[in-house]
Amino acid sequence: MTDSYYPKSLSEALELRRETGAIPFAGGTDLMVRFRAQAGTLPKLPHPVLFLGHLEELRQISMDSSGTHIGASALLSDIGVSEHVHPMLSETVMLMASPPLRNLATLAGNIGNASPAGDAVCSLIALDASVVLASLSGERTLLLEEFITGPGKTVMKSDEFIREIVVPADQPDRYWYRKVGTRKANALSKLSLSAMATVHEHRVQDFRAAFGAVGPVVIRRRDLEAQVRGMTLDQLSRETEGIVDAYRPHIIPIDDQRSQAVYRLQASLNLLRRWIDLLMQGG
Amino acid sequence: MTTGISRSVPRVDAYDKAAGITRYIADIPVAGVCYGKLVRTSISRGTILDIDVPELPEGFWFISEGDIPEGGRNRIHMIKEDWPVFTNSEVRFYGQTIGILVGPDREQLIALADAVRVTYREQEAAFTIEEGLACRGGALHGDDNLFADYCLVKGDPESAFSRAHRVIEDVIETGFQEHVYMEPQGITVEEQDGKIVIHASCQCPFYIRKAVAPSLNRSLDDIIVRQAVTGGGFGGKEHFPDIIASAAAVAVTKVHRPVQVIFDREEDMCYSTKRHPSQVIFKTALDSENRIIGMDIDARINAGAYESCSPVVLQRLIFSSNSVYDIPNVQLRGRAVATSTIPSDAFRGFGAPQGIIAAELHMSHIAREIGMDEVELKRSLMVSKGSRTITNGTIHETVKLHEMWQRIAEVSGWHEKKSRYAPGSGRGMGAAFYLHGGGFTGSGEQDIIKARVRMVKRDDGIVEILLSNVEMGQGLQTTFRKIAAQVLDCDYRDILLADPDTDRVPDSGPTVASRSIMIVGRLVQLAAEQLKHKLHEPGAQESEAAYTQPPGCHWDQETLQGDAYPAYGWGICVIETAVDPDTCEVETLGVWTIHEIGKAIDEAIVHGQVTGGVIQALGYGSLEKLELKDGKFFQHTMADYIIPTTLDFPGVYSELVENPYPYGPFGAKGLGELVFDGAAASYAMAVQHAVDRTVSRIPVTPEYIMELKTHG
Repeated sequence: MTDSYYPKSLSEALELRRETGAIPFAGGTDLMVRFRAQAGTLPKLPHPVLFLGHLEELRQISMDSSGTHIGASALLSDIGVSEHVHPMLSETVMLMASPPLRNLATLAGNIGNASPAGDAVCSLIALDASVVLASLSGERTLLLEEFITGPGKTVMKSDEFIREIVVPADQPDRYWYRKVGTRKANALSKLSLSAMATVHEHRVQDFRAAFGAVGPVVIRRRDLEAQVRGMTLDQLSRETEGIVDAYRPHIIPIDDQRSQAVYRLQASLNLLRRWIDLLMQGG
Repeated sequence: MTTGISRSVPRVDAYDKAAGITRYIADIPVAGVCYGKLVRTSISRGTILDIDVPELPEGFWFISEGDIPEGGRNRIHMIKEDWPVFTNSEVRFYGQTIGILVGPDREQLIALADAVRVTYREQEAAFTIEEGLACRGGALHGDDNLFADYCLVKGDPESAFSRAHRVIEDVIETGFQEHVYMEPQGITVEEQDGKIVIHASCQCPFYIRKAVAPSLNRSLDDIIVRQAVTGGGFGGKEHFPDIIASAAAVAVTKVHRPVQVIFDREEDMCYSTKRHPSQVIFKTALDSENRIIGMDIDARINAGAYESCSPVVLQRLIFSSNSVYDIPNVQLRGRAVATSTIPSDAFRGFGAPQGIIAAELHMSHIAREIGMDEVELKRSLMVSKGSRTITNGTIHETVKLHEMWQRIAEVSGWHEKKSRYAPGSGRGMGAAFYLHGGGFTGSGEQDIIKARVRMVKRDDGIVEILLSNVEMGQGLQTTFRKIAAQVLDCDYRDILLADPDTDRVPDSGPTVASRSIMIVGRLVQLAAEQLKHKLHEPGAQESEAAYTQPPGCHWDQETLQGDAYPAYGWGICVIETAVDPDTCEVETLGVWTIHEIGKAIDEAIVHGQVTGGVIQALGYGSLEKLELKDGKFFQHTMADYIIPTTLDFPGVYSELVENPYPYGPFGAKGLGELVFDGAAASYAMAVQHAVDRTVSRIPVTPEYIMELKTHG
């Protein structure tokens, strides 16, 4: 049997988290799969669990001048249709899993699971999203890129959990999300690209590209993005292959059950090239 | 509007299944049950030196070879004595049964199974067809690793090759496929009145009886098999239930309590049988005008570690390897190769899909080589009534493929699209032509199965059909009733047809080989016709019909010569695809099919089979990659072994052409496998057209397409 805690409020949840170190459990769509046991037996969760999915305080999706605030336990199915949510994130979320899973799964869960193939993480990193970590000692806010440090690894402390995710209001004009899954629905990603840009008067003012499932963490290279910023479209056209080549060494996928490294690399670079083409066409 | 027997009626099983009322084997509680957990080998080849079982709590047992009742055989009788029930020495594949732990608590069973320590002497193993042929690590079977080695000759291939202007060589490969029936394997075995009663999710109740009896040293009548509601089979429940039933039955004779074995999905995917991987090597001789004058075929299948039904699968593969084409001079060698993988076994199509995929792709490759339209090439070689088959038999029926092609070309917009999409444009069209012989291969129905169907009118006037074929989702509970009701002129819902119980029903054979309607349905019709005369006589009345070979069919099983099948179903599948230039993902834009199955017994059921079979084949052709890594299946969860969802393919257009078969019920022929045979090839050819590269293997994954585009 697994010890479990069912707090009635956020403050009680924070207390239980500090006292017990129980693992935050929202929809359970990752945990219940990871710790499943054989037919007719209960899942073998190695830690006590702290249920958070039911706390209304954590389920809100709201907007203020700083951006969109998505509660840790907001459901993917709600995020996908919320008017406050950036369309790239909505698209990403609606391509995750299947309707029944989206009715249970949460954004904080996808982040906390810290899989390099976590689809929401890829788009959130492109959107410069932050996570707000709460504990009895107070709150701290980290860029998502800083929060996730490796496959399944985050900097979350044993008395903290994610309270909300903040997506800044100010975003580039254009975006393009491409998930290459194992099939069209209810699929894990072989690779994904969350790309954004602002082009004003034939000049690239902002350029972002985040690649999922092709490295130990989502790959976003702010140094390379800085090199693209400021280019005219003519320059962008001339430099396309140079940009693609600059990304190449940073995309370091593996062979696994779902795909092959050589494919993942080639398809990722092809998508980057396509994104640059789309910018030049203005379409 | 369709009239007569083809007109659709509500399926008798549909409501309860849709509403979740139907109870499958895992849903039925059994008083005092012991659960069974198989303990398996963790190496692929070698010898067991020691089995160390932890001390077992009261009420738990470890059952292994030594527990087989006196005089019982440690061999499971399939086509012949085959897999051992339990191994205590020789290991031939990863996941082979060593023993079965039984006890009342599943959690404890898992812990105990994990604590069993087995020491081995490991040996080098062969996993692929090439490694098997090379007898890597020494032969596993005989001295050449061949469970079967067949030769066929049609015409004078030697002379054809000596006259050849050029020879086109080709290698076509297909991989493993997992059945993914909706309900995993499950079985409950118990003692009742001194007999062994087996409740099984299965396709072939009488096979289980035959498999288990020798291991228990009991007579066939001492073993009673009752089919449990079966949530899909696709061939995966043809022989594999024998494996679990034998182990569980031995346990029951020892512990004298009911034993239940229910697999979960991962266990099922890891340790159940799969479709045979294949490799077909062609050499085709052309004359100076690029006419095909001869063909040399070398077909190999990966049979795995035990024979199972591999020789018969291989027979169907080689008999299908000229597909619907009359190739003038052919020499063929077919081999079933032993390897240290789980024995490959039956899967919808039973070798025919591998043969047809090879034939279709090879024909399309020839067309590419000689710059000819592939459909025109194929149409110029199509069989017709009176044509000679690869086994020197005769096509006895009128073949309607040309008129079917006219029709499907029209509805799919074939000619316009084929001319509009330049090769390599990213858009492609594929067309596969195929056939499937109904019933057992060769003289199997007459010499081995000898099907019988009984029908009774009870005292109370109610009519019951007694036969051994099972409902597993394909609609037999409805179609058999319809056939009887049509003859007896009554409502199909008033006829009884229970899930088979070997103690009550005659053996009408297994639910395999597209035989249930064509062969057994015909017997239902004949039994009903006999009973009709006695229907109004007082008291209980009975009739029985037994199989007889249709006149004019000849077969020699020794030489594999003659009519391999009495009649065929025919089909064409057209597929339109678009390949993403960046990721090589494939969007299937259209799927059009046309089939000739004699006569539909129920149009909605037929369309359900068409859609299901075609989508399953498209999964096989595009998504379902199943790789071996160190003898284990690399993909073994539903997250990694990818089957299609409703979003992956569009709706399947399906049309039927009638051509009643005089020896089928109301003219019906086989259907269940035919509809699987062509779609994978069609898909591969559509991709081939879209990317203008030679596609030589399935599944045609985006990874493979990228490889083709990068390296040619």
